[in-house]
This record gives sequence, C-alpha cells and structure tokens, in this order.
Amino acid sequence: MIWVTWRQHRAQILVTAAFLALLGVLLLGSAVEAIWYVAEHAPPGCPGPAVGCGDLAVALEHRYDAVYSVFGWMPLVAPALIGAFWGAPLLGREYERGTHRLAWTQAVPVWRWLAVKLSVLGGAVVAGGLLLSLMVSLWRPVFRAGVDSTFGNIGVFNMVGVEPAAWWLYAFALGTAAGALFRRTLPAMALVVAGVTVTMFTLFRLSDHYAEPARTELSGTVVLDDHDARLVGTAWVEPSGGEVAEPSDSGCPRRVDVGQSNKNTEVWQACLFGKGYRYVVYYQPPSRFWRFQWTEAGILALASAALGGLAVRRTLRRPG
Amino acid sequence: MRPAMEATGLGVRYRRTWVLRDCSLSVPAGRVAALVGPNGAGKTTLMHAAVGLLRPALGRIRVAGEAAFVAQDKPLYDNFTVAEMLIFGRRMNTHWDDDAAVSRLAGLGIPLERKVRGLSGGQQAQVAVTLALASRPDLLVLDEPLANLDPLARHDVMRSIMAEVAGRELTVLMSSHVVSDLEETCDWLVVLNGGRLQVSGDTEELLDGHLVLTGPDDASTAGTQVVSASRTGRQVSMLVRGAPPLDPRWQARRPGLEELVMGYLRSPESAVLPHLAGMSA
Repeated sequence: MIWVTWRQHRAQILVTAAFLALLGVLLLGSAVEAIWYVAEHAPPGCPGPAVGCGDLAVALEHRYDAVYSVFGWMPLVAPALIGAFWGAPLLGREYERGTHRLAWTQAVPVWRWLAVKLSVLGGAVVAGGLLLSLMVSLWRPVFRAGVDSTFGNIGVFNMVGVEPAAWWLYAFALGTAAGALFRRTLPAMALVVAGVTVTMFTLFRLSDHYAEPARTELSGTVVLDDHDARLVGTAWVEPSGGEVAEPSDSGCPRRVDVGQSNKNTEVWQACLFGKGYRYVVYYQPPSRFWRFQWTEAGILALASAALGGLAVRRTLRRPG
Repeated sequence: MRPAMEATGLGVRYRRTWVLRDCSLSVPAGRVAALVGPNGAGKTTLMHAAVGLLRPALGRIRVAGEAAFVAQDKPLYDNFTVAEMLIFGRRMNTHWDDDAAVSRLAGLGIPLERKVRGLSGGQQAQVAVTLALASRPDLLVLDEPLANLDPLARHDVMRSIMAEVAGRELTVLMSSHVVSDLEETCDWLVVLNGGRLQVSGDTEELLDGHLVLTGPDDASTAGTQVVSASRTGRQVSMLVRGAPPLDPRWQARRPGLEELVMGYLRSPESAVLPHLAGMSA
C-alpha cells in the first residue's frame, strides 16, 4: 500500500521536494552572501541600533527584498497548489478514470486504502510545510538581526512557525474532500483555489479576535512605537474621559489635506492633544506570536480533520 | 451444492429509484454464470453489490471466499507499466500468483515494460483479467468483459477465461447484453429485467424445460404455460414452459439460448426461479 501510494503520487512528491530544495539553495546562497557582505562592510557595532548602521541596513534591506519578492507569493499560492495537486486528484482522479473500482475491489479494504493514503500524504504535506517554515526562519534573521518582524506582516507570519504546515494540510484536506464530492479533478482543483483564498481572507479578518486587543493611550503622537504590532482599531479619548471615534465640538479646525501632504491633519491632531485629548490604539502586540500561531493552526487542523472525515464518510458510504 | 454467491431479498436504491428489487438467487460453485438483461436492468448494480462496491438498502449478498472484479471499462492505471500493475496487484492482495500472471501475459505476448496506455483495448482487457485471476479468487466477476473489443479479441479473452475455469475450482459471473457472446461458454443463466430477477437456473435444464411453438393463431394453447408470444401475419410463435400443448397443429422445437432470453425479456411478468437451497427459513 505504501508502494502504491508512492507510485501514484511520486510526481507531486518529487516536484514539491525539488521546489523546496531549489528554494533552500536560493535562501542559503542569499544568506551566505549577506553574511560575507556584513563581514566586509559593516562598521564596528553593526548591525544594530547604532547611528552609523543605516547604510548597512539599507544594503541588507535591498538584498532581502530581492529574494523575498521571489517567494513572497507562497503563503497563498503554495497551499492552493498543494490542495490542487496533492488533494484534488487523490479521489477525484480515481473516480474520473474509474480506477476506484479496481483499487477498492482488491483484498485491501477501502478504509485501509484511505487511511494509508491520507496519513502518508498528509504527513508528507505537513513535513514539507515545516521544512519551508524552518528555511524561512533561518534565513530571515540574517537580514533582520535583533528585530522582531514576523507578527505584523501576515504574509511573513504565514510562512513561519507552524503556519505553513497547517495551511498545507488544510488545503490537502479541502482538495481531497472536494475530489470525493465532485468525483472529478478539475472542479475540485477550482474549489481548492477558491476555498483557500476565502479561508485565508476570513481568518485574516478573524485573527483580530484571537485575543482581546491590548489598549494603549498616546499623547502627542498617533504612531504606535511597536512597528510589528497588528493594529485593530483607534479612537480618541475626550478630556471628559469618554471614548469617541471622531472628536466633535473639539474647537479644533480640520482642513482637508491635498496630495501626499499630511500637514493639516497633523496640525489638527496637535490641537486636539493640546486640548487634553488622547489617542487610543487597540492592537495585538508581537508577544502574542505563538498564541496566534497555535490558534490559527488549531482552527486549520480542526477544519482539516472535518474535511478528511467528510471525504472518508462519503467514500465509504458509496465506494462504487 | 455449495453456492459461490448467494443473494437474499436484495434491494438497491439510487436516491428514490429502486434499481434492484427483491432479488434472491444463488450461483453454485464451479459454474460459469451468464448475467443477461437489457441496458439498465441492474446487472452492474448486482455485480457492484456482490464485490462490495455498494451496500444494499435491503437484503444481503454473500460470496463464499474471495471475489475478484473486472469493471466494465477495465480500469487500469494508464501511467503504470504492465509490470507495475502486477506489483500493484501483489501489494493489494493477500494471495497472489505472480508466476502465473507473468507466464499468462507472456503467452499473450503482452510486454511487461510497456505502459498500460500503450496497449490495445484487447491487451488492456487481458491485463485486467490477468490481475483478477492472479489474486486467486473463488469467484470472478466480470462486467461486460467483451464490450468494446473486436471479434478476435472477444474470442481470445473468452478462451483465456475458460482455460482458467477448466484448470481449477473457479466460479465466474459475467454480464453481457449480447447473449450470443455467452452461449457457448456459460452453464448457468441469470436474467435481470427492469431491476427484477426473471430467470435463474442451469442452462441445459432451462432449455430442456422450454419449447418454441409455431402454428396458426387460432391454435389452442390449452395444456401449456405460455411465457410470451409474437405474431407475424396469421402465424404465431411462442415460448412455452413445460409440456407441449394438446393441439396437434403446433410445431415444437427446443429453443436456443437467445430465444429463451428474448422470450422472457418480452414479458417481464413471467419468471422461472428455482427454490433456492438453504434459503427456506
């Protein structure tokens, strides 16, 4: 049964492995080059917060962006591909070609066929996702020494920790269930792409509620000091203590800004601060990284289990 | 005799439609049974129920020992080589006779290193049948094994199946909507029509027990049991069961298998079903 699984799915397994290997080589090369560059060009005390480190930081930023743009699409596209090429054909192709009537009339019972395929391929998908996460997590600090930056950017967040594994597994389960439902590969692939996109958008919206947002009151500025935080909402606190979305009757004139300029808004804000207003920011601090990682992974794992259960139930109920 | 396959009160439903109703039959071990009936009669459904591809809504169907199945379109994995299909069979089965499979394919001139999609339709059918036989089944179920094959390939496939039957204790259940395909090979007949069982029995006994009568249309049918009749002008042709009628104007002869089957299919309300051994409760 293991041989059968390997023989039927080796194309997907090999292509995915080759892709990860290629990405690994690219990241390794980029990291080694950056390390050499730092060793040669960095002034003493850099990289770090020292004043003279600006040039080095910019040079590293350029290198980072050049490579990141090569695989920055992965958080969305990789799960969609996994679902379309690992999940959708698993049952869809068997039904489409009629080979399910060959596979499921041998001595190996249908439930065992399903169990082996789902666990072997699901395991491989999880391993692939973890490998991607490991490579990205080793690569990024080379460019961002000492700076927390994996929480605020949802794209990066979805490529580190346990997220890639959870997303890949979810997409695989979604594809398998869609294949069992449609009994065709192509519609199942389409559903996976749509499903992964919708799920990602939904969870992004939902992630504000994974934890009660932290609240902080600012005076004199409207910019939160923590650049890696996720902003949930903002408001003003009136001198009387009431919280409002937009101050009215404050006595501060607000003129419209033209073009790129922020000047009039800044004048207005300064006026408000002068009259005792304070600016409130609701946000998720980066210290909640793992809490968010596990919450999202938990949701996706539960959804994967439900979809896998649906596919198994559907298949066992009417195998022919 | 011990039945190789036995169905009791079998009923299968797709959504609201019953595709198989109240089906009770048994096929004795060692027989080559023909399952015939028009398209949509429920032949494939009965076979799928026998090999566990669907669960009946009512009744049950039981196979003594292991069953092997070759589905209608003889599914194989297109991108496997023939040798890989054999590995597939070995990995998926508890009993596997690799030597027999290899020598059988060699005898048929089918190269092991060839991809399945590179084989002709007849060769693919032979590979599918070889896989089924190599798992050493007690019952071989073949759904329209000869459909889409040219006359030569039909003959070859049929002959090679019969060679296996002769070699060991193997029961075969094969379906066809072309009766003449099965005439020379089958010794048990099952006729399905519109989801109901019409005929189940030993072919020779059935043929001996029926007569084809031709005579004028005013001739009396007293003393015989008419299965179905067809008129052409003033001439009547009938399939009857049991003793010939008393009216001497009838000309009687033994029916061919096709005539017998057609006679029953023409009148769905007629049936000839034996008392099933071991089924009286």
